[in-house]
Amino acid sequence: MRIDYKLEDKFDLGLFLSFLILFCIGLAAIYSATYNNVVAAGNFHRQLYWGLASLLVFFVIYYLPTTTFRMISIPSYMISLFFLLAVLVIGRRIMGHKSWFGFGSFGFQPSEFAKIGTILCLAWFLSKKNVDIETFKDIIITLGIGLLPVGLIFLEPDMGTTFVYLGLILVMLFWKGISLFGLFIVLSPAIVALSSLFGTVYFIVALFLVIVGLVFFRKDLFFSGSILALNLGAGFFTEIVFNALGSHQQKRILTFIDPNSDPLGSGYNAIQAKVAIGSGGFFGKGFLAGNQTQLQFIPEQWTDFIYCVIGEELGFIGSIFVLILFLYMFLRIIKIASSTKDEFISLTLIGIFSVYFIHLFINVGMVIGLIPVIGIPLPFVSYGGSSLVVNVFMLGIVANVYRTRKNYT
Amino acid sequence: MRPEGFASIPRKTIIYFIVVASFGLFAFRLIQMQIIDHKSFDEKSASNSIKPLEQVPLRGVFYDRNMEVITGNSPAYTLRITPSEYDKSLSRVLETVIDADSGFIDKILYNNRYYSKYLPIRIKRGIDFKAVSWLEENSEHLHGVDFIVEMQRDYPAGIIGSHLFGYEKEISPDALEKDKNYYSPGDYVGHSGIEKTYEKELRGEKGFNYVLVDAKRKETGKFKDGKMDKPSLKGRDLVLSIDADVQRVAEDELKKFRGAAVAIEPKTGEILALVSTPEFDLNQFSYVTTKEYLSDLYTSPDKPLFNRATMSGKPAGSTFKIMAAIAALDMGVINENTIINCGGGFYFGRFFKCHGGPHGPLNVIHAIEKSCNTFFYNLIYRIGLDKWSEYAHRLGFGHKTGIDISEDSPGLVPNSKYYEKIYGPNWPRSIMASLGIGQGEVSATPIQLAQFVAIVANNGSTYTPHLVKGYLKENTKEFIPYKFGEIKTGISQRAFDIVKQGMVLVVQGAGTATGLKGDELKIAGKTGTAQNPHGKDHALFICFAPYDDPKIAIAVVVENVGFGATYAAPIAKKMVEAYLLKNKIKKGDIKKSIGINDQLFGVSQ
Repeated sequence: MRIDYKLEDKFDLGLFLSFLILFCIGLAAIYSATYNNVVAAGNFHRQLYWGLASLLVFFVIYYLPTTTFRMISIPSYMISLFFLLAVLVIGRRIMGHKSWFGFGSFGFQPSEFAKIGTILCLAWFLSKKNVDIETFKDIIITLGIGLLPVGLIFLEPDMGTTFVYLGLILVMLFWKGISLFGLFIVLSPAIVALSSLFGTVYFIVALFLVIVGLVFFRKDLFFSGSILALNLGAGFFTEIVFNALGSHQQKRILTFIDPNSDPLGSGYNAIQAKVAIGSGGFFGKGFLAGNQTQLQFIPEQWTDFIYCVIGEELGFIGSIFVLILFLYMFLRIIKIASSTKDEFISLTLIGIFSVYFIHLFINVGMVIGLIPVIGIPLPFVSYGGSSLVVNVFMLGIVANVYRTRKNYT
Repeated sequence: MRPEGFASIPRKTIIYFIVVASFGLFAFRLIQMQIIDHKSFDEKSASNSIKPLEQVPLRGVFYDRNMEVITGNSPAYTLRITPSEYDKSLSRVLETVIDADSGFIDKILYNNRYYSKYLPIRIKRGIDFKAVSWLEENSEHLHGVDFIVEMQRDYPAGIIGSHLFGYEKEISPDALEKDKNYYSPGDYVGHSGIEKTYEKELRGEKGFNYVLVDAKRKETGKFKDGKMDKPSLKGRDLVLSIDADVQRVAEDELKKFRGAAVAIEPKTGEILALVSTPEFDLNQFSYVTTKEYLSDLYTSPDKPLFNRATMSGKPAGSTFKIMAAIAALDMGVINENTIINCGGGFYFGRFFKCHGGPHGPLNVIHAIEKSCNTFFYNLIYRIGLDKWSEYAHRLGFGHKTGIDISEDSPGLVPNSKYYEKIYGPNWPRSIMASLGIGQGEVSATPIQLAQFVAIVANNGSTYTPHLVKGYLKENTKEFIPYKFGEIKTGISQRAFDIVKQGMVLVVQGAGTATGLKGDELKIAGKTGTAQNPHGKDHALFICFAPYDDPKIAIAVVVENVGFGATYAAPIAKKMVEAYLLKNKIKKGDIKKSIGINDQLFGVSQ
């Protein structure tokens, strides 16, 4: 048999190497963050085993026939919903969240796995022939598919993951081709809801902007009125949800609005994270030499605050390198997604991209103090088996699509 | 397909733009933090490896008026836990070691869950030496667990002083919220008595020692050689007006009863002794109070936590006749020559009986001597209820005394408005007869009675009764007095002269308390018996001595025993002797352990 193609034809080496390097940087950072911690001493090894396991997952997904993904889209979504329900009933409580299944010494987080099911199911629905995204009915169904797991996750409650799902729906709708007005209908309640958290003035300003938008689109009065009512409802609903949130989440939102209000309480992490990164300087303090990290000023730094370890010990060089790797991956995925003519596959890839991107945006944004502290891991880098396996699973889909891309162009 | 539809070039461009813009924003932020503002973050980070160690200041001690230490400090061990480093699986072992109930530690940690996880929380005070040595031996396995030496209250002069000194208690979450800048969880604050009122003076100022810690949180040395350390400032040492001898005697004499005794120096309002019985053991509070002890205190029918000296309002009985006499004399409705005939009682709507009578014709002096009810039944009608009430207020009744411990009851002195509210405008005037002899609705606290007799002894003026005279300046030991309000009644000297003649006859003549007659000490006083509808009467006695130059004024109330002369007067006499014949009474046999405690006092951490 004659080998008549280069490796790069079938295998996206750049994408795979980016992942591998990110994972290794993550491993090193986990090693450093747990170096002086007796309780978390085994995390480095655990992450290493998870990494090896996820490589296996990657290659299995890589070699599957690409049609498999469309086949499993509905079943995987159903199974995800089942587990999300089950975790509410029998889940093990960790740090006040009811989001883990306990299997002996390691946990399993259904909300992570549900991402795959939701992306596939949304892609399946949006790529159906008779679906017209400009009809109210289909927008509602799309929102329904996406928000059902969110509703279950929100009950747990886990705010970070909720944001990921909301963003995922939005990006996929956008990619599908929703009109500007459709986007406005979907997006405006979210913005009004967010601004209502900042106080009445912001809420009113946001509502005013919505009215300006409605005037701009010149739809009939009844339709515009309904949308305004929807926005008002979203604002007041947020108030109710805010009051129903766990006190630590409320505090985190409030400390974002004024981070210095509680420097020893929940503002503490935000301040210490910034100090860690800022004190890293250009070259960093060196591996295992960051005093912020080694003195454990931030609790459980190996999970959501892993980027601080990199920022402190590897400095600007390390931090920007991680960002560049992500940037490369994202641009790569978007390129593959736009090069295929198969709507299902294209939507799936853009869904995967959006999950990665929102994770990165929230995680890095929070540690460098641009957005509030919302617990969410950095893909491939943070410690955590469920999230690593799911992210690699999705990367496997991307690589798989790359492998068979010529069949679909 | 519309040009702007599925996966179109414009849509791809928008997503590209968002991604690149986000990365640009992050990169810009990283440059700002890690390159431009690097220096300020670096400084913050460096100071993070400096650990402040809190230095708890020594609490101020109490001296009595003769500069004897009556409340001091002694060292004790406190177990602490730093939650961020602590593994809760250790709790069960620790609870066994410190002899606490299961769940004790986790409960304390839970109560402090909103406080910083990185600062130690006090778990238990006064842990014993065995526990301390166990902690020391196993320290390497006990992450986040340590102990410190703290000072605790002791009472070297043998004075119980449960209501006087008061006790400290772990700060409540509410109080902590109010004074977050000073207190941390587990800090003790004055909760009653002088400890509470003078908390801010007594607590001093916390200090901080700054030490450098390495990556393993081990101390590696002092930060800048300790130049930045802020030493703790000792709290003010208070000088109390209490006379240890008088206080001890009063506590000793009253311990068999429920009751109260208050002694005041008439010229200054300084309280020489303040006792309320039954007392409770303050030592139980300076360590960790056991649940059983607390519930005993709360449920005991004798209400030991209740400060009877300042809180318990009771009819003043015959001691209130002095008040009426002063009012009548000052108003001029009678003078010393006014005679009222006692035929054994008084008729106003019904018959009011005089005790021990009939006394025949009496002037006010002899009416006081004999405590003739008939005379004073008549007198209040001559004075009129509202005038009577007004004089009572001027003489310190019916309102709080303003004593410098927070528990203080106003008592009650009714006037016509009071009765109009209850009975309407035609209230039965016969009610006044009982008030004339200090029974019925009128109620006074022991501290009010003591203040009253002090005013009488000092001819119409004194100062707000107080327990703390002043404090000692930290370095010079110079005495700095606190200032207290002056009380001026504006009542004529003549009125006081006349009632005092009656009061001296009560003891020295043929009066109701002749058991206190003595050559050495000329005591003037007045007995009283407060009627008690719920049981035996309460015995009262007020007095001052010496008659010519009053140095001590006393009120004694003994609950549920009977006549004032029998029970209350002897206690007052012992107190007068303890104060005025101090040098004659042999000292030394009461207090034995002073030597040791004198050494402990003033030890700094």
